[in-house]
Amino acid sequence: MSKFNVLEHEIVPEHHLVPVEEEYKVLKMLNVTKENLPRISINDPAVKALEEIHGKLEPGRIIKIIRKSPTAGYYEYYRVIVKSVI
Amino acid sequence: MNVILWKDTKKNISDIEKKAPCYYAIDFDIPADITKGYITTDKKNFEYETSISEIKKYDENTDKDLLFKKKPASVTVIKIDSIKKIDKKPISDFKLNDNKSEIDSFAVGEEFTVEYKEKSEYKIPEKDEDVIADLKARGYNFPLSVVDKLAKYKKELPPDKYEKLLKRVNLEIEKREVDPYEAVGIIAAQSIGEPGTQMTMRTFHFAGVVEMNVTLGLPRLIEIVDARRIPSTPSMTIYLTKEYKNDGEKVKQLIKNLENTAIIDVADIITDVGDMSLTIKLDAYKSKDRLVNISDVINALDKIKGIIYNQVDNERILIKLQQESFKRLYQLQEQLKVTPIKGVPKIKRAIARYDNSSNEWILYTQGSNLKDVLNIEGVDPTRTYTNDIIEIENVLGIEAARNAIYREAENTLSEQGLDVDKRHLMLVSDMMTFSGAVRAVGRQGISGRKSSVLARAAFEITSKHLLKAGLLGEIDPLSGVAENIIVGQPITLGTGAIDLVYKGQKK
Repeated sequence: MSKFNVLEHEIVPEHHLVPVEEEYKVLKMLNVTKENLPRISINDPAVKALEEIHGKLEPGRIIKIIRKSPTAGYYEYYRVIVKSVI
Repeated sequence: MNVILWKDTKKNISDIEKKAPCYYAIDFDIPADITKGYITTDKKNFEYETSISEIKKYDENTDKDLLFKKKPASVTVIKIDSIKKIDKKPISDFKLNDNKSEIDSFAVGEEFTVEYKEKSEYKIPEKDEDVIADLKARGYNFPLSVVDKLAKYKKELPPDKYEKLLKRVNLEIEKREVDPYEAVGIIAAQSIGEPGTQMTMRTFHFAGVVEMNVTLGLPRLIEIVDARRIPSTPSMTIYLTKEYKNDGEKVKQLIKNLENTAIIDVADIITDVGDMSLTIKLDAYKSKDRLVNISDVINALDKIKGIIYNQVDNERILIKLQQESFKRLYQLQEQLKVTPIKGVPKIKRAIARYDNSSNEWILYTQGSNLKDVLNIEGVDPTRTYTNDIIEIENVLGIEAARNAIYREAENTLSEQGLDVDKRHLMLVSDMMTFSGAVRAVGRQGISGRKSSVLARAAFEITSKHLLKAGLLGEIDPLSGVAENIIVGQPITLGTGAIDLVYKGQKK
């Protein structure tokens, strides 16, 4: 018996950390600034799990999510880490 | 690896922090192989981590000049090498010995360790890469599901026909793409709303058919988009691990351990006012059914303070108060009724069903407690699912909640035989989770948090919004739809989104 890694759950899509050097590429591709990206809380269980792998994450980092879609196969979605969400 | 967990005062902790490394006398006995300890101040979260290098018996005569937890009762001396403040670790991060679930003054236990790995199942298959290269050369951009199908035809078709196919697919995709400034939200709202009118009537026919009564139809759909904190019928689908899923006996045992059993479920409580006592009489049939025996009840009674209990015989326990009072006696009777003996909190009932298509037992429960159920032995944590979206958000994260909203809405609609395009539901679930938390569609959520004052005022509670905006001096840039209708301008949608600028030629 052990504590559970949420990233292994079938309903949780793949979460990947975007390296700081590649963030501008993502923003350029989407033609947005960071404020316009969908958000994810720093306290989100999936972010906490990523922290176990990559060490402490700061607000402002971008997370790439590879979603499974019933129409498009797989596609990428991006969220930016924020301190608090409403 | 075993660790030691104990409760201490803030003063003692700050003393240790000042003097570490130091010797510290504690009032309990611990195994000698421990090298790590955690300290709590509130019995719930552990805030300090210590490393321990030496453990010895306390000797009054030789051991002087050390720190004491409680001076007269010292038993063991440990050497604390270092102490540091850590992020709060809840008690559920540890497995305590002797099946304890809470900490009294100290406990020895094991720390759960998880190997965290990123999930990366998806890689673009090799056969698709050629097609993607073909598409890139022609400047096309297709979804991966289309690419997958094209890969099959690339082998079968001659090059000129393949070329034709690509052109045709591109044409069809372009025709169906959403144009910039198209009002997708309104289309989604209509597409979900119209079938909703048909649902209302059908709901009555379906109610009560399912064994485990679950809200269906329009009430359920409203619940999903309202993002209710607690759904009206929370329920879980629990999948089991390999060892459990085909073993009927083990499944039976697991159900008994899941169902939350209080004393009133297995026993009668008799109050004797003359004698100022309570008697718990175990019901033989009920207790056998729930696999509870009298020692389980006694364990549960241990946690109640201010009582003296005596086991009379195999099925009766006599309880007296330490301080006699009628009021307390009455309160105790009410308290005893709901005192949990075993099981997972909030899980009221569980049933098992054998699934013939996947050949395994699947458990369905009334009541939902995802966090605790995931850590139970025998439960497959990667597939277990609940219909409580907020709970999924808290336990598995916002992306999981987004998938759950989509899945629940889709299931509710398709169960009624309604065919709503998946893209509308995806749009709704994306909008609801955009801000990083699940927000309702409506006054409390998406519409109530629009940036424009006029749009909010047009929606609900007009005067409140206008007054507040006036007080705070808000500015409305008139960039949305509702605002522009109010002031009588073309709306910023479709062709209205275009500004024409004429640059006059210099003469």
